[in-house]
Amino acid sequence: MEPLILCIGNRYFSGDDTGPRVYDRLIAPPGPPSDVQVIDGGLAGLALLAMIEKRKCVVFVDRVEGFAPPGELVVLTGDEVAALAEGYGHNSGIPFLLAMLPKVSPPPWPECHLVGMAGDVDDQAIGLLAHYSIEVARHGIDLLR
Amino acid sequence: MNKRVECAIPLNRVEGDLELRVAVEDGRIVDAWSAGTMFRGFERFMIDRGPLDGLVITPRICGICSITHLTAAVRALDQIAGQAPPPNATRLRNVALLVETIQSDLRQSLLMYLVDFANPTFADHPWHAEAVTRYQVLQGRRCVEAVRETKHLLEVIALIGGQWPHTSFMVPGGVVYAPPVVDFQKSLHLLKRFRHWYEQTVLGSSIARWQEITSTEALDHWLTERSEHLQGDVGFLLTAGRAMGLNRLGIGHQRFLSYGAMDIPEGSIVTGIAGQLVPAGFVQGLDGGQSFDPWQITEEVAYSWYADYPGGRHPMEGITNPVASGAEGRKYSWVKAPRYGGQVAETGPLAERVVAQDRLFLDLMRREQGASALTRQLARLTRTVHLIGALEQWLLELIREQKAPFYLPVEPLQNGSGMGLTQAARGALGHWVKIQDGRIAHYQIITPTAWNGSPRDGNGVRGAWEQAILDTPMSDPDDPVLAGMVVRSFDPCLVCSVHVVGGGRRRLAV
Repeated sequence: MEPLILCIGNRYFSGDDTGPRVYDRLIAPPGPPSDVQVIDGGLAGLALLAMIEKRKCVVFVDRVEGFAPPGELVVLTGDEVAALAEGYGHNSGIPFLLAMLPKVSPPPWPECHLVGMAGDVDDQAIGLLAHYSIEVARHGIDLLR
Repeated sequence: MNKRVECAIPLNRVEGDLELRVAVEDGRIVDAWSAGTMFRGFERFMIDRGPLDGLVITPRICGICSITHLTAAVRALDQIAGQAPPPNATRLRNVALLVETIQSDLRQSLLMYLVDFANPTFADHPWHAEAVTRYQVLQGRRCVEAVRETKHLLEVIALIGGQWPHTSFMVPGGVVYAPPVVDFQKSLHLLKRFRHWYEQTVLGSSIARWQEITSTEALDHWLTERSEHLQGDVGFLLTAGRAMGLNRLGIGHQRFLSYGAMDIPEGSIVTGIAGQLVPAGFVQGLDGGQSFDPWQITEEVAYSWYADYPGGRHPMEGITNPVASGAEGRKYSWVKAPRYGGQVAETGPLAERVVAQDRLFLDLMRREQGASALTRQLARLTRTVHLIGALEQWLLELIREQKAPFYLPVEPLQNGSGMGLTQAARGALGHWVKIQDGRIAHYQIITPTAWNGSPRDGNGVRGAWEQAILDTPMSDPDDPVLAGMVVRSFDPCLVCSVHVVGGGRRRLAV
C-alpha cells in the first residue's frame, strides 16, 4: 500500500486548520503524485487507527506548538510524537493514537512521521508543508534532520 | 468562622474548553460556575449557505459525535423536505448512530472515568492495585482492550458510511447508497466479536442475565452470584464506587430530559416506546413523566456572553449574537442556558433510563436520594445492554430487505423550517433550521453539554452539573479527583475541535 499523508485538524476552526489546508493544496489540480495517498483525517483522532494499520508509511500533517518558532518547519518521528501522549480525552490527538497503535494493532506497524508548523500559517507555508509531506512520504526524514 | 476559598479546579480529560470555578467551605464545594471558554459560531457561519451544507459542516463540530450531528442535521432537512426516509434508510442511519454511541460509552467509561480509580488518592483502598492494573493511563489492560474492541466496532461505520472519517451518507430522503449484503454480514461479524467482549469483560455476565435485574436487592444479589460479575468492569465500578462514596455524590436537580432517538422503521420487529428505541420525555422527580414537547425548549443568556434578550427564546427563534464585554462579573460562559418549560434538566444515558421508567435505575435513585455520579456512570456503562440487540436485528433486516429502497427522491429544498432532534452519547442534541429561497436563513444547535454544563439562567438557577457538584468533598484544590468524577459522570464535551500536537503540557488545567 502506498504511503499515506493524513491531514489532521478542523477546517472550521481558525488556528486548527493547518492540516485541512494542506490537504486542499495537495488535492488541488493536478492532484497529488500517484505514489502517495492523501486523506483529510479531520477530527477523527483515535478513530483513525484502522486507517493507518497495514500501511508501510504514514505522514501526519498538523499544527504543532512548542517545538520551533512559528513559520519554521517541524518534522518529528512517530516515536517522538507517541512519547507526548498523556491520558485520553475527547480531544486526544496523534500522540495517543501512536502510543496505542502497537498495543492494539498487529505488526508490522507503519513508519510514522509528523510534518507541522506552529502559529498561523500563510499560503506560502501551506505550500512548504505540502511539499515536505510528499518528500517525507517518499524518502523518510533523515535528509531533513 | 468557616473558611471560604474560591478557585478554578483542573479537570483534565474533560473537554478542552471548560473551566469550572468552585467555592469551597470546610473542605466541601458550596458553589460552582461552569464556563465554556470558546465561541464556536457554527450557527452564524451556516447562514446563507446551501441547504445541504449542514450535512458536511456540522459533523465536524465534534470528532466523537460526528454521526449524531449528521443525524440531527438530516432529520431537520427531512422535515423541510416533507419526505420520511424509507425503512432501510432509517435502519442504516440507526445502525451508524448506535455504533457511535456504544463506542463512545465504552471509551468514556474505561479510558476517562474508571482511570480515576487508579489515582494515587485512593491508594489506601483494597481495590486500588487492581484499578492500576486495569485502568492506568496508556497501560491498563482494560484500557488497551477498550481501544482495540471499539476500533473494530467503528469499522461498521466505515463499511456502511461510504466514507471515513466524517461521512455525510445521510441525505434528505434517505441515504446516499445501498451497501451490499456482504458489508452487513461483515458488520454482524464485527458486532458478534464486540458483544462477546462486552459480556465477558465489561458486564461480566450475559446481557440476558443483566436484564433480569430490576431492583437494588437484585443488583446486590447479582454482584455476589458469580465471581465473574464482581470481576467485570460493571462489578468493579459498583464495588469501588460505593466504597469511595460516589453513590452519595453528584445529586443534581432531579429533572431528566430525552429527545428520543432511533425511529423504529416500518416492518421492523424491534420494539420501542412511542415509535422510538430510545423514548422521548421529561421527568421531574422519579415517578412518571411528561410527554416531550419540543416547543418547551428555550435558551437563556442572562449569564452567557451573548446580547441580552428577555427570558428564553425557542431555538427556532434563537439569536446568537456574541458580546464579550460590558457584563464582566455577571456573564461567565459562552454556553447558553437551555431550559425545558423554564426548568433546568440533565440529559444523557441516565435520563434515558429514567424517561424509560427503568425499574432498576429508579430504585437505585430512590435509595440514593437522587441521581448520583455512580448511578449516572452505571447507566452509561450498561447502555449497550439496551442498544445492541436492536443493532443486530436491524443489520439482519437490512440483509433480508437489501433490495428495498434506501432513498426516495425529494425536491430541492427551497423554503421551510425543521427541527432535527436525537440523542447523542452525551444526551439530547438538536438542530433547528430555516431555509429561505434555497439558502440557510437560520441555524441553531443545542448540544447535550449545553444542557448539562449550562450556566445559571435568568432566575439564577444553576446548571445541571453546577448543582450536582455541590457538597462534594475537596480538600486538595490541586487534586480534586472526586469533583472531577462528579462532573465526568455527565461526560462533558464542550468542543472537539483542537487536536494540536504540543511539545509542552498545553492546556493541562481546563
